[in-house]
Amino acid sequence: MLPETFEPYIVGFLCNWCGYAGADLAGTSRIQYPPNLRAIRLMCSGRVDLTFILTALKRGADGVLVVGCHPGDCHYINGNLRTERRVALLKKMLSDLGLDDRRVRLEWISASEGERFAAVVKGFVEEIRALGPNPIEGNTNET
Amino acid sequence: MKLRIAVEGLGACAGCEIAILDLHEEIVSLLQDLEIDYAPILVDKKSLNDNVDVLLLSGSVRNRHDVEEAVRLSEKAKTTIAFGSCASFGGIPGLANLYATGELLERVYLNTESTDNKERTLPSEEVPPLEPVVKPLKEWIKINYNIPGCPPQPKLIKEMFQMLLNGKPVTLSKKTVCDECDLKREEKKITRILRWGEGEPDSSRCLLEQGYFCAGPATRAGCEAKCLAALMPCRGCMGPPENVTDQGARMVSAIASLVAIDEKNRVDPEQLVTMFKDVVGSLYRFTFPSSIIPRRVSEGKSK
Repeated sequence: MLPETFEPYIVGFLCNWCGYAGADLAGTSRIQYPPNLRAIRLMCSGRVDLTFILTALKRGADGVLVVGCHPGDCHYINGNLRTERRVALLKKMLSDLGLDDRRVRLEWISASEGERFAAVVKGFVEEIRALGPNPIEGNTNET
Repeated sequence: MKLRIAVEGLGACAGCEIAILDLHEEIVSLLQDLEIDYAPILVDKKSLNDNVDVLLLSGSVRNRHDVEEAVRLSEKAKTTIAFGSCASFGGIPGLANLYATGELLERVYLNTESTDNKERTLPSEEVPPLEPVVKPLKEWIKINYNIPGCPPQPKLIKEMFQMLLNGKPVTLSKKTVCDECDLKREEKKITRILRWGEGEPDSSRCLLEQGYFCAGPATRAGCEAKCLAALMPCRGCMGPPENVTDQGARMVSAIASLVAIDEKNRVDPEQLVTMFKDVVGSLYRFTFPSSIIPRRVSEGKSK
């Protein structure tokens, strides 16, 4: 049975140098954004193995947000570009598996873009809310 | 006392059983220490009634009969081995998990180009019903070891028998196919993905670096890279290497690290996607039922 109101459960993989710093700036600037995001800090968006995203979806995440540095700004030169290509293939794979590929989103957010971080999270939560719960059977929202 | 072996194929092609015969003369010396008690394709015995030491089960679990047979036989064996890629990972029949059972039956019995079935009958009597999805054997019964391969290489089968005879655990190589491959790697980036048959490959260089889709980096060693020695790209039949759960995810990482991203030759993400004709079929040819999301789902069903 579904709960009365659906609250999206979102897992975020944020790179240490841009995405996470952007989230930090949003926090210290007291910008409000929805609490649906569970942020996981990684050193680089290039560390995001598709296994992470697939496992998050399998275990019941309704959406997965990957945040890295803007192209050209990657602390490790091109980790973000590698992940951009991985995520592109993943989205095609998710469509073939019957999932809406909008459940996974890749964004570039720099350390100075606290406002933008909040706006992206807000937009993504609303998009996933409209999509509805993750349809993978047997998943649990328990942490 | 000889080691008593039973061999049975579930939903499969019997190639794994024939691979045992591919040991050729070596099977004669092995038979001094082991006895093939039951193997419908190899020896003339109609049913397995007694207990055996080792059961080799090949094939995918596709219908109810396969489930019941797997359970019944494994109860008679001390050690059960998933023999071949279908039993170990779900194999090629597992790609059917991309379709609903109804779609499969319609395609096979009503809509293929060569179908002649005017009454539009579907099999219903005296055939076991299909299971909704193909799952690897380990999800149905307790499996002691996997011997992957489509079919398992004779060398691997021989090693398996030797380990069993010595009472040792059956172990597999921890390396990848690339580690066993003799083709030369030059750390070159690729700008396109080719399918087999497109262009002429250079017979000394890594096929992946020439743009051919080769699953070597995401596949367990143990086959001696025989396909590569014949310039055939690896299709991944040995399954994921040690400590890798999802073969396709590993392969995507390998490809993403290999495509050019420099100013001049850059392959954009959108371009990369169009280079694949069949993403799931290429990445999970043999391992879809044991991947992280092992079947198609449908969006909006629970709403």
